[in-house]
Amino acid sequence: MRREGSALHGLGVVVLKELSDHLTSARMRVLEWLVVLTALAAVYAAITEIRQVTAQDPFLFLRLFTTAREPLPSFVGFLSFLVPLMAIGLGFDAVNSEHNRRTLSRILSQPIYRDALLFGKYLAGLATMSVSLTVLWLLLIGLGLIMLGVPPSGEEMARAFIFLLVTIAYAGVWLALAMLFSVLFRSAATAALVTLGIWLFLAVIWPSLSPALATALVPSGDQATTIITAQMLARLSPSTLFGEIVLAILHPTTRTLGPVYLDQLQGAVMGAPLPLSQSVLVAWPQIVGLIAASILLFVGGYIAFQRQEVRA
Amino acid sequence: MRYRSIALIGLLAALAAPTFASADTTRPDVKGLYLMTDYPAVTVQPGTTSTLNLNLRNYGLAPERLKLAVAGVPKGWTATLLGGGQPIAAAMPATDNSVALDLRLDVPKDAAIGSHTLTVSADGPNGAHVTLPLEVSLAKQLPAKLSLQPQLPELRGNSSSDFSYTMTIKNDSGKKLLVSLAADAPRNFDASFTEAYGTQQLTAVPVDAGKTKDIKLKVTPPSTVDAGHYPVTVHIAADGAKALAKVSLDITGQPKLDITGRQGLLSARATAGKQSVVPIEISNTGTAPAENIKLTSSAPDGWKVEFNPKTIDRIAPNQHKEVQALITPPDKAIAGDYATSLTASSRGETGDASFRVTVTTSTMWGIAGVGIIGAALLIMVGAVARFGRR
Repeated sequence: MRREGSALHGLGVVVLKELSDHLTSARMRVLEWLVVLTALAAVYAAITEIRQVTAQDPFLFLRLFTTAREPLPSFVGFLSFLVPLMAIGLGFDAVNSEHNRRTLSRILSQPIYRDALLFGKYLAGLATMSVSLTVLWLLLIGLGLIMLGVPPSGEEMARAFIFLLVTIAYAGVWLALAMLFSVLFRSAATAALVTLGIWLFLAVIWPSLSPALATALVPSGDQATTIITAQMLARLSPSTLFGEIVLAILHPTTRTLGPVYLDQLQGAVMGAPLPLSQSVLVAWPQIVGLIAASILLFVGGYIAFQRQEVRA
Repeated sequence: MRYRSIALIGLLAALAAPTFASADTTRPDVKGLYLMTDYPAVTVQPGTTSTLNLNLRNYGLAPERLKLAVAGVPKGWTATLLGGGQPIAAAMPATDNSVALDLRLDVPKDAAIGSHTLTVSADGPNGAHVTLPLEVSLAKQLPAKLSLQPQLPELRGNSSSDFSYTMTIKNDSGKKLLVSLAADAPRNFDASFTEAYGTQQLTAVPVDAGKTKDIKLKVTPPSTVDAGHYPVTVHIAADGAKALAKVSLDITGQPKLDITGRQGLLSARATAGKQSVVPIEISNTGTAPAENIKLTSSAPDGWKVEFNPKTIDRIAPNQHKEVQALITPPDKAIAGDYATSLTASSRGETGDASFRVTVTTSTMWGIAGVGIIGAALLIMVGAVARFGRR
């Protein structure tokens, strides 16, 4: 039966209900505490390290995000690991739990379309992630202000804000992936396991696998081609994309993310920071990749959900 | 026997007596007072002070107080007798001894040329009286005691060259002199004396009697000096003798080129693969016009830097001209700052400046990215339209 009227009818109700479910769930609280505590530990370590080591840096505030102190990884390092975990935790049972609790047909008997249900679940998950990431971001900046005593410049704030948006987009990719598998698998445990498996594969194994794969794929053994192919393959992983964006946005002296020929560096003034717009332009393909990937993954989940039999 | 002995002694005594008498007569047979000088006739220059050395000598007379006086002093002259450095009026030479006296003569500048006789006299209380006539002639020019001869008195160069003059000092006076050196140069010119072959700076140099010595005068003009002719006067002086020599510097002007962006800006912006126009100013801060100025650049490989116009015919001193530099980074340039050096040269004189060019990349790919996201959204809208169902 064809839908009549807007696909978004009833979207607001679903978003609000899902959001309140997320924010009050015990799972969410555990994830939140995990993220907050580990991130704060990383930030505290970064601040003590900056105080001891950094002499002068026009982008001192951005060092809060990227400075690591052994044995802890940096704040960014923590986020690139924990944000997927949180997003998967929010999304792995989005649809199949409704199936299993036999509440899906009951919801759909209300004047709410399937479209609105899936959109609402996705947007609520994304909103939850946004809220917690924004709070974490504000916490970090407040701590930096108190403990460093140096006010951030306008450009630093702009870069930090872009970093926040990129982190939310990164969370969106994993959320869309988790929801895709929650549609495909009826069992929540299977969906969670598959999603976590893909995440581990893409985040840990794929970056080290891609050079080997590139060597196999490039028969001529041309070094430049091999490196470019390896980089292209590695960029299939959202983790790699996120890492590259962070490098371009939070390290303003980064001029390019690809391989550089020596003649392109001739006459270049090293260590000169790029203007913000140029940094964004350097990372723009990666940002586009993250956003487009989350849209396409969501569309995949949407199509699968629309074609599914919901009466069980 | 006893009488003979006495007679012998008497004979000996008689013989000895004339012997003693003849020993007495070997001393000069002069007796009395003498007033003496080595040179009783001298020539002096009007307007100077001269000192004559006198000697009052007593041969075989008892010491007595001798009153001294100078007679025949022309009007306006001052004649002072000095002994031991102070004016005296009487002297007392011991027996067979002498007293040194100086007669100081102050001859006024306007004294008439001619010859005068001054008489110095010494009178004792017992009628002793000696006189010494001194003939003093006046002459306008006396033979020089010092001379200074520059070997090359006129030198030519630009404001950044060194001007070195070698000079010969000749000492014609009868004694060794310590000659002090001074140069009277225009304001802000630096003048120093060194030995002819040496680096030590000097303010005085000793010259033996009758000998010559070479010295070198080095004049360094200030770098901002205008073209022109600058005289330098060298003075040397020693013991009242002095000499001077005139040398001169002929300074030719020199262009000096400075290159900078408009209002001193040394940075520019350019987009990769696109030509951008950077106005630059070329100014001549030198002292001569710069002609036929060529503009060149040393940019990284693949960059294209052109100038409009390519050459400048002439820039007068303290003038500037504006040209446009057309900078095109290559298509593949990575965003960021690059150093590019621009040079203006005019016959060996160059001025250069290092420009910092900030290269930005084209936003075309950014728009393409927005297109990709748009396409993804379109797919979603299409899916919603195609698969939407109750």
